[in-house]
Amino acid sequence: MAVSLERQNGLLTFFTWIWNELDRTIFTAIKFSFPSRFVSPFGFLGMLTFIMFVTLGLTGALLMFYYEPIMTRSWDSVAFINDSVPFGFHIRNLHYHGSNAMVMLAILHMYYQYFSGRYKIRNEILWVTGVILGTVTILEAFTGYDVIFSERAELAISIAASLTNSIPVAGPMIRELAFGAGFHDFVLRFYAQHVFILPLVMLGLMAVHFPRFLVFDVPMVMAICGAMCLAGGVFPVDLGFKFEPTVPPGITVPEWYLTGLYAFLRTQYDKFLTGVLWPALFILALLVTPFIDRYKKFSWKDRPWITAIGITGISQILVTTYWGFYIPPDTTIPLVERLVIDPIYLYTVMLLLVPLSFGFTLMMIHLAKDAERKAKLAKESAPRKVSPINLSIKWTNWLLVALLAFQVFLNIAAYNAFLSGMNNVNLWLTGVILITFAGFFHLYRYGMAQSKQIPKPPSFSTTKAVESTQKSLPPTNESEESTSEKPSRQEH
Amino acid sequence: MSEQEKGPGGMSRRDFLKLLGAAGTSMAFAPFVPWGKFMPNPSSVTLSKVPVILPDGTQANLNTYPINHAEVITYPETADEVLNEEAFRKWQFIRLPEKFGGGRKDVSSFRAYSMVCLHLWCLWKYWPDEGRMRGECPCHGSMYDVKTGTAFIGPASVQAAPSNTLAQLNFEADSDGFMFISPPTWGVNDNGVVGYGRFA
Repeated sequence: MAVSLERQNGLLTFFTWIWNELDRTIFTAIKFSFPSRFVSPFGFLGMLTFIMFVTLGLTGALLMFYYEPIMTRSWDSVAFINDSVPFGFHIRNLHYHGSNAMVMLAILHMYYQYFSGRYKIRNEILWVTGVILGTVTILEAFTGYDVIFSERAELAISIAASLTNSIPVAGPMIRELAFGAGFHDFVLRFYAQHVFILPLVMLGLMAVHFPRFLVFDVPMVMAICGAMCLAGGVFPVDLGFKFEPTVPPGITVPEWYLTGLYAFLRTQYDKFLTGVLWPALFILALLVTPFIDRYKKFSWKDRPWITAIGITGISQILVTTYWGFYIPPDTTIPLVERLVIDPIYLYTVMLLLVPLSFGFTLMMIHLAKDAERKAKLAKESAPRKVSPINLSIKWTNWLLVALLAFQVFLNIAAYNAFLSGMNNVNLWLTGVILITFAGFFHLYRYGMAQSKQIPKPPSFSTTKAVESTQKSLPPTNESEESTSEKPSRQEH
Repeated sequence: MSEQEKGPGGMSRRDFLKLLGAAGTSMAFAPFVPWGKFMPNPSSVTLSKVPVILPDGTQANLNTYPINHAEVITYPETADEVLNEEAFRKWQFIRLPEKFGGGRKDVSSFRAYSMVCLHLWCLWKYWPDEGRMRGECPCHGSMYDVKTGTAFIGPASVQAAPSNTLAQLNFEADSDGFMFISPPTWGVNDNGVVGYGRFA
């Protein structure tokens, strides 16, 4: 805590008391760290995903005040939230872009753990629950955009139902039990799953998935929330068209995290194989990764096969994701034919990506090891090339004042945008405010760290024995760096 | 549990008794009630024989219903107008054209197919014009044979059975010719599953 607690008033005593009483709760088992310098966000992407989960919970709860999960009214209620409810536009956009951010962060989080081999060293449970959690996250996002019941939502629901139907023997029964038997049931039940059942499952999994070391990096959390607002301001989510069963729908594609799957469905091959077995196989492959990875080392450079498999997966995801979006622009061909993807073409590309990715991986490993070797040589012969930015206390203070003034200006601008009814500008400016705050906080943190570095007093002459032990220690500069890098190791 | 107590099978007598106790307790507390019945929506499951009510409110009569003509009927109908709007409760009630045997004065000249297209659930309808006489979906152009309910062109026709044939209703008629819907069984080998299909 930065606050001096030497003079205690009643409120501070109360807070101290609460802080001490937390000793008996689960929170003492979790090690929270608030980094005092910039650490790479790759190390705590999981925490950022969780922040998104909380944000989505809050915005979602607010949306529940107006949303009506009724077949004939759900689209209209979303339109009402978007167009008429004050700040409804903001809440809905934050909820939408938050869901995208959460899926994206979860994917990045997983791949970071994958390539850095963090699922080893008895982290297998964390990895397995994480993969399941990621799958549920995508289901959660999927059920979310279904309950709007626009044309796209209807397409998504019908695909979900037809995939469930395609399960051998029990398919239609599972469909009826889980989703019901009509649009009215579908909307209501997807809603129940979206707002309660799946989040509950996620919370349960999180209880297992949370590691004991957590990082709460205020600037990065602020920056991510700001980016969410920026995205909402620049790309406000549209309503789509209300689904009318007698009106031919326009071209709709699913959200980006499902277009990969959509590309496979568009081959018009067997639905169970393309829509259920392929994704299940992919998830299964991820689940068993810690148990097939027998390498003793962690770095991706030392685990060529695992890295190559990961790169293959990513390249296939990227290609199919784009392919799922792509619809030939030639409007003279009937729509249904434009939507069909030639399975031979698609699967040939998928297979070709395997040797390409393996080759790419080998090349990258070779280059990285070479660069590593050269860096080692350079380090031995020459001084460090990285020059840190050092700000004096005076300039830090001036910058802090400037950032504060900029935030005041942004606040006025945002208020002005709100008064003029420019919702997306308002949202965009809010994003800039949050990001500026992130910079402000980072600078403040830097300033606090600097101010603690009191100039060293002249060295006293001590007894000879102590002096001799001190001499063997490394210089102060070096040791400081190694300690400050520590937080990024274990964090999640 | 110490090592010595373990029997040759790996489980000691005390372990076995504990297991037996646990199993007995759970059996005692699990009433034999089909809890799974909660999940399917009962309003579409409990079905009865009901008259065929046309959109004008009258009951269909096979002596007066015009040949080569279709109306939309709602089944199963509820007291709730929102539920009655449900596409999954909409059926095309068709009397076949003369050339397909629509002139017969019995229920065999009638068909009722689920209006939900098997492709992506738009609502198709019957076109009685000369040269068409088939069900057509406005969305992606699937067409359905009016005699069987099987798609013969468009995306629904390339789907594997049962997803190429529409769910259907069966009829009964009394001596005055008034028509009733027989209670259907929702299954791919019976009346079919709305939005999924039926084995023809």
